[in-house]
Amino acid sequence: MAVTTVPHAGVHDDGPDQLYVETRELRLQGFLLFLVSDVVLFSSFIFAYLYLRNTGNVWPPPGINRLDVAFAAFNSMVLFGSGCTMHYALENWKHNNFVKYAWCMIATIVLGAMFLGGQGYEYTTLYFRDHVSWGGSGIFGASFFTLTGMHGFHVAVGVVYLTVLLLQSLAGTYTKDKFFGLTAGTLYWHFVDVIWVVLFSIFYLI
Amino acid sequence: MSEATVHSGGIADHVHPEPEGFVRKYIFSIDHKIIGIQYLITGFVFLVLAGLLAEVIRVQLMHANGGFVSADTFNEVYSVHGSAMVWLVIIPLVTGGFGNFVFPLMIGARDVAFPWLNMLAFWMFPPAGLMLFSSFLLGAPAAGWTEYPPMSLQGAAGTSMWCAAIFLVGVSSTLTGINFLVTILKMRAPGMTFTRMPLFVWAQFATAPLSMVATTALAAALAALFMERQFGVPFYDPTKGGSPVLWQHMFWFYSHPAVYIMILPAFGLVSEIFPTFSRKPIFGYKMIAFSSVAIALLGFMVWAHHMFTSGMAPLLQLPFMVLTMLIAIPTGIKIFSWVATLWGGDIRFTTAMLFALGFIATFTFGGITGVFLSAVPFDLHAHGTYFIVAHLHYVLVGGSLMGILAGMFYYFPKMSGRMLNETIGKWTFWLFFIGFNGTFLPMHYLGLMGMPRRVAEYDPQFQQLNQVESIFSFVMTFALLLFFGNILWSIRNGKKAGPNPWGARTLEWQIPSPPHYYNFKHIPTVFSTPYDFAEPLPYAGLEEELTDSPGPQAGH
Repeated sequence: MAVTTVPHAGVHDDGPDQLYVETRELRLQGFLLFLVSDVVLFSSFIFAYLYLRNTGNVWPPPGINRLDVAFAAFNSMVLFGSGCTMHYALENWKHNNFVKYAWCMIATIVLGAMFLGGQGYEYTTLYFRDHVSWGGSGIFGASFFTLTGMHGFHVAVGVVYLTVLLLQSLAGTYTKDKFFGLTAGTLYWHFVDVIWVVLFSIFYLI
Repeated sequence: MSEATVHSGGIADHVHPEPEGFVRKYIFSIDHKIIGIQYLITGFVFLVLAGLLAEVIRVQLMHANGGFVSADTFNEVYSVHGSAMVWLVIIPLVTGGFGNFVFPLMIGARDVAFPWLNMLAFWMFPPAGLMLFSSFLLGAPAAGWTEYPPMSLQGAAGTSMWCAAIFLVGVSSTLTGINFLVTILKMRAPGMTFTRMPLFVWAQFATAPLSMVATTALAAALAALFMERQFGVPFYDPTKGGSPVLWQHMFWFYSHPAVYIMILPAFGLVSEIFPTFSRKPIFGYKMIAFSSVAIALLGFMVWAHHMFTSGMAPLLQLPFMVLTMLIAIPTGIKIFSWVATLWGGDIRFTTAMLFALGFIATFTFGGITGVFLSAVPFDLHAHGTYFIVAHLHYVLVGGSLMGILAGMFYYFPKMSGRMLNETIGKWTFWLFFIGFNGTFLPMHYLGLMGMPRRVAEYDPQFQQLNQVESIFSFVMTFALLLFFGNILWSIRNGKKAGPNPWGARTLEWQIPSPPHYYNFKHIPTVFSTPYDFAEPLPYAGLEEELTDSPGPQAGH
């Protein structure tokens, strides 16, 4: 790794031009609105889950064990940890520490992948040991696998997205002044974290 | 760059390179004006197809025992007719079509915030339409445009196709909503504060969050239905613990706001037309603007009034009933403001104005039957009858479609540089207005007498009125054919329009027709609302727009 500081815009370092500043504002707002619509998507399924759960008398439905809270809590810590490393990645970028930034990004990607691995382990245990499946276990399987699967899909997209961002920053796409992609990646990753807080509470805790 | 440095160099001055070649100019264009026209053309093509389906319905109902098509086909026909009219015709026409073409010009922008996203959103729309109409090949959806489970769970394979098609339109609609919202928030010309925006922009501003938020909820409902149909994942099937009422909640949480997605932009269009053809400032500018937002907010809190007969605690029915009735207040404010705009005005009965006036009459009628239906006891009586069909067609055809037709006569000169033929236009209006009322007015009576909707055969006592309706529906169809003929003829042979044939005052009329790809040579500065007909135009920086001076350079 030859570069140890974040590359600067242009030779004169007179900051980003007006067009970039305004375009960044537009993109930021557009991206936040996209996240809002994604929140609505999750909220709709969460509403569906709570609605269906409320129609029955007991939860989980007869014949299905309670979910393994301990393992999921550990897996959640992995995801929340990746949120921290993501935060430090962006801060280090802003403060010009390219090496620390890169290591934080790598940590985030690895932790994200670990979370996915944990979820895969949980799914296989549920399927092979407890015989709980997406289509064959009534509204429990439907709501659990749909919502956590949607979230897992978001995490997977995030892992790929962050990898691309890391490669782009290694290739010099972003500078100290122009790094909207990294901001968007951070926002997205925090969004995925927050959604998981809600999903963990409604599936494992209540 | 050096010539343009007098400006800020920001997004307002940014110009895309001039598109070259037919494909980049007219097919995969990123120009909001071309995309708007693409939406209009595609939407009108789907209007013809869905209109033909409507005529199949009317021909079938000419006789009490049907006989034109089988009962199963009839179910498919009205289901696809309804779905297509809502998702492929009205919503794309008022948001994608008029929204795209008009409002960036109105706020003095060179394009929307995300032109490529705009193109992507448009190109999701024609495939969705093809999917919906081709579902007939697989056995089309047959449970009405609302596709309530469990019927939709048992429907033919085309129902899954329907889910995918509507999902695609939904994604397109969400992207458009995000795009429009950011554009209105960030890309207004200098001096154009919120209370100086034209009312059509206000209407789009109220609509965009609806298409963004509500449509996503529909996407969730559709995805769940699709998963249940294709993979047996139980959400709605009561035998597996699911709930059909869940679908109704999720569907109407979208589809009630969708009603306002369809009507608010039409409100916006007529709010532009009334002051122009009354030569008078719009009455109650702020009230019209804020009432759009009020309608949009209230629209999210009333979805369950569609479900009074689905089994709901009486305690819950009351707030939904009251909130629904409250919507009549902002709507009434608009209607009174329009009438007050006309009062004492120097009214010019152009075709656009006739359609806008017809809009007031029919929409008010449809709005009032809406207040009837919000009352629980009345709704229990009228639910599932032709009264509902009458009500929804009064607001969607008499409201949205009349608004679209008014908007087409008003904006066609700006789009093409040529006028639509006014004589044919007036014939179109009267035939359409008479045909429309003749078709749908008797349905109120039929509904109250107990004729159920969505039936292929019915009690012979209703036959006479149904025949009357069918005949009037042919008149309405003929009027629409005149309209399309008028467009096809006028696009080549119409009178040259010039930049501002109506003497209108909003920004889009101060530049050539059709506008250059960069819209404005210099981004204007705005000093006031556009509606003060006694005052000089409240803009600066437009001096060169109608001259031969060269346009701005690409890049900056």
